[in-house]
This record gives sequence, structure tokens and C-alpha cells, in this order.
Amino acid sequence: MAKQNQISPVAPVIALVLAYLVPGAGHIYLGRMKRGLILGITIGALFWSGVAVGGVMTVDPERERWWFAAEMLTGIHGIVGWYRQQDYNSRALRRAEEKGLGPASPQGQAYMDAQLKKDRVALVAPADTVARAYAGVAGLLNLMCLFDALMLGLMGQFGEPPPKLDPAPRTKGRTP
Amino acid sequence: MIAWAPFTEPLVLSFYHELWFLLPLCAAVGIVYKAVRLPRLDHLVREVIFLMLYMLAGLSGLAVVLWLIYEYWP
Repeated sequence: MAKQNQISPVAPVIALVLAYLVPGAGHIYLGRMKRGLILGITIGALFWSGVAVGGVMTVDPERERWWFAAEMLTGIHGIVGWYRQQDYNSRALRRAEEKGLGPASPQGQAYMDAQLKKDRVALVAPADTVARAYAGVAGLLNLMCLFDALMLGLMGQFGEPPPKLDPAPRTKGRTP
Repeated sequence: MIAWAPFTEPLVLSFYHELWFLLPLCAAVGIVYKAVRLPRLDHLVREVIFLMLYMLAGLSGLAVVLWLIYEYWP
């Protein structure tokens, strides 16, 4: 049952931060356990389905900045995806440097692109569309959850909303 | 496809199969939207199915309109 004006004034901020870091956690913090679990599982599953389709290069800040910004809205999921991409990139960079190729030079860029293809991680159409749409939309959905958690916190609503009141029970016969 | 390593290598897809991936996307959008908006979660599944059908109908209609413009626009 929703209780109003009984939670701490920092609750909206805590709900917002939790909702960003772990999708659904803001709602769980505000006492909406079932909703929080549904949101967390759905957003996580959508993001990781995108990464499963697109591979390690789905979260790519250099090539797809706008999708990357959307993916980062998934919090811990996006951060883990970014870490995996950076981990692959740093290994490819080390290999390029071992061959004496600077990453900024055209030869270095060509070598890096060739490495992506050789390692079979280059993300090409149409898998890139599906992967980035899944991961990016997951982030945008979490943005909606962030706003919802913030608004619920600001309004001081804790817990599930109260059930609808049933109409007065009908009584047969005469009423006193 | 046979040697596909999920989460590492991209899935090899054909453009003909791409549209099937809209179904889970619409389902996820519907679930999150309705989980946030509904005052009670008793009828969540029914509401999500209706919203999914609305989205798919809207996208299909949009596709038909765009196809007509592409084909018949002078």
C-alpha cells in the first residue's frame, strides 16, 4: 500500500542512482518489488540479447557514439559491455604496436580493421542494426524507469498503489 | 552460424530474417512501458499483448505507407 510523505528527502536521489546503476533497483528501493524485478529482468535480457547478436563490438564509443550514449543508460550492463569492448581494443592495439604501427596512422587503422575481420568480431549489417537497436532501446527504456523512480521518490510514494476500493456490498432486503 | 560464439562474435543474419527480431523488441518495450504505467499488475500480460499488437499494426501500416511512397511517388 502506498504511503505518502514518510520517506527520507534523499530517497528520490537514492532511487535515481540505484535505478541507473541496476535497472529496476530504484523501484525495488521504493517498495515496488515485483515491478522492479520485471523491469530489471526485461532490460537486462534485452541488452544482453543485443550483445549476444552483435558480439563484443556492440558497445562501441568510437564508431557509434549515439548508440553508445543510449547503451550507457543501462548502467552496470552498459559498463560491462563497454569494458569488454575496451579489453578487446587494447589487445588489438598491443598487437598493432608490436608491429610498429601507431593506432592513429592510416596503416594502424587498416591493421585494426583487418584484426576485427580476422578475429571475426567485426559488426556488419544487418546484425549491427539488431544488436544496437536492442542494446540502445534497453538503455532508453531504463531512462523511462529512471524518470519514474525519480518522480515516485519526489512524490513520496512508497510501495504499491492501494487497491481500488470495492463498491459497498449489496444487501438483500431491507436496510436498517 | 555453426561456429557462432554468442556475446563475442556477431550472428550472421540475412536481411530476410531481420524483421523477426522486431517481435522481442516490441515485447520488451511493452513489458517495461506497462510495468511502469499500470497502477496494478494483475492484467500485465493481457495489456502487454494488446500493446504489442498495436505496435506491430502501427509499424506494418507505416511500412505499407512507406512502400507505397517508394513505389508510386513520381
